[in-house]
Amino acid sequence: MPGCAGTETPTGEKMATQSEFSAPPGENSSRVGTLIRSRGDQLLVLIALFAIWQACSLWLGTYWVGSPWGTVVRLTTGVLGGELLSHASFTLAEAVIGFLLGGIPAVILPFLLRRLPIVTAILDPFMVGGYGAPKLALAPLFILWFGIGIESKIALVAITVFFIVYFSTLSGIRALDTKLVQMAQIVGADEKDVARHIVFPGAVPYIFTGFRIAMPYAIGGAVVAELISANRGLGYLIQLGAMNFDTTGVFVALLATGIIVFIGNTAVNVFERRLLRWRPPSDAKNQSGT
Amino acid sequence: MSAQALLEVHDLGKRFASRAGRDSSLWVIRDLSFSVADGEFLTIVGPSGSGKTTLLNMIAQIDVASGGEVRFQSEVAPINDPKSLNPGLSCRIGYVTQEDNLLPWRTMLQNVLFPLVVQGRLNDETRARAEMLIRTVGLAGFENHYPHELSGGMRKRASLIRTLVYDPPVILMDEPFGALDAQTRTVLQEDLLRLWNLGRKTIIFVTHDITEAIALGDRTLVLTRAPARVAGEHKIDLPRPRDIRGILTDPKFIEIYQRIREQVQ
Ligand SMILES: Nc1ncnc2c1ncn2[C@@H]1O[C@H](COP(=O)(O)OP(=O)(O)OP(=O)(O)O)[C@@H](O)[C@H]1O
Ligand SMILES: [Mg+2]
Repeated sequence: MPGCAGTETPTGEKMATQSEFSAPPGENSSRVGTLIRSRGDQLLVLIALFAIWQACSLWLGTYWVGSPWGTVVRLTTGVLGGELLSHASFTLAEAVIGFLLGGIPAVILPFLLRRLPIVTAILDPFMVGGYGAPKLALAPLFILWFGIGIESKIALVAITVFFIVYFSTLSGIRALDTKLVQMAQIVGADEKDVARHIVFPGAVPYIFTGFRIAMPYAIGGAVVAELISANRGLGYLIQLGAMNFDTTGVFVALLATGIIVFIGNTAVNVFERRLLRWRPPSDAKNQSGT
Repeated sequence: MSAQALLEVHDLGKRFASRAGRDSSLWVIRDLSFSVADGEFLTIVGPSGSGKTTLLNMIAQIDVASGGEVRFQSEVAPINDPKSLNPGLSCRIGYVTQEDNLLPWRTMLQNVLFPLVVQGRLNDETRARAEMLIRTVGLAGFENHYPHELSGGMRKRASLIRTLVYDPPVILMDEPFGALDAQTRTVLQEDLLRLWNLGRKTIIFVTHDITEAIALGDRTLVLTRAPARVAGEHKIDLPRPRDIRGILTDPKFIEIYQRIREQVQ
């Protein structure tokens, strides 16, 4: 499988583009072919990753790198036993609540500011600052403010998601086609109709790009906040594993995090595909990866 | 004829705000005057880039004039003040733009119904009218296609009937049949004439095609190269109803054609 070695994750978007090039575009049958091919390629990458992992674990010893088999067994028993599942769902809950608390205002705010370009301009440097500020540095502060419970993790996730989604929504509103707005006004659309029928639908692809980028950060943010201080969640498991020199335990938690990110990404894709049926397929494919 | 003129354009001028390094005093339209009577079918021909689209944009009030006057009924359009524009003059002026401007997230049928939706006039009767128009322009069967799934000519036809569907008393058309094959074009020209005959709308129709301008219009304006002004005005006194296919061999047609031909550089 030449050319696949650079692809790091089985969910990655590089895979899809690669098979796009190898399959003749346009025809219906080739779409299915592309799908099978890209799924097949992904499986190969997954196997390759496991092979490298296994090699590393043999080479360095399971003390440093937990073996894939051991990790998968621990993952399965952890899930079946319910313990891992409860930690994972705790992390997931933080990520989901934080995603909603940060994401919803981030979608609404640019729409409210649309008619207030001066306010938007005043806010801009602060928003850019907030976007660029390392969120990890905020984690200790949030723990100080909100305690070591779920609240501080939700706050960290929310703030991380907010800035990403805010800027992508804003760029969606800025990409507005004024010709479409003029057309709508001519046929009798008022300000509210324009917002609802032109500005919002036009921004939806951008909002989803924001969601897709923010989603792994939401889960990562929750895990990192737990790493610093928590008594539950996957981050806590990683911390616990590291403290007890249980590398396999760390790997189990990392693998579980990866699986959650994958599921989250699939969910965003499914949702997006339903909402964006109107897009030409090439656009849709570039947007949604797989 | 200014006594019962519906629309009057007087000494109209337009220049676009300059960007750095460009001459700011470049007028696209200068001292352009003409008027349109109620129920008239006016056609406008002029070379590419002469400012035809710009002129229609100002009449439809999606762009402001830099000087002169555009008067519709008794209302004067704002000059140099984009904020007080009233696009479409409260649905009294429809505009079939040069580009189709269909909403990509709406199907063809939803696009055609869009004016009725925002005007709150969607009911069984208007819906039936939309369906009738879709059949007339040969788009039946494509109701649920999104714009990117339609051909350029189909999109053009969809945008045409999106304006016809809400029946505005005045319609501006910017080369609506430019992207169509000769056969479809003739069919649509005939349909347009029939519609115009029925409802006696006022139509301002921009085209590159002198034949089309004569076949459809009561009067044809010829514009000069930019800065655009009126190079000539031609009354088309061919009898109506006209036979679009047969008209080409009419000696009177040929005579008008040659007169216009000389003025269009
Ligand atoms: N927004 C704009 N900014 C600057 N210049 C413009 C703008 N719109 C049009 N122009 C200029 O105005 C002139 C007339 O343009 P317009 O689109 O009205 O021509 P037209 O007669 O419709 O041409 P065509 O027949 O090719 O459609 C052109 O020279 C164009 O460069
Ligand atoms: Mg034009």
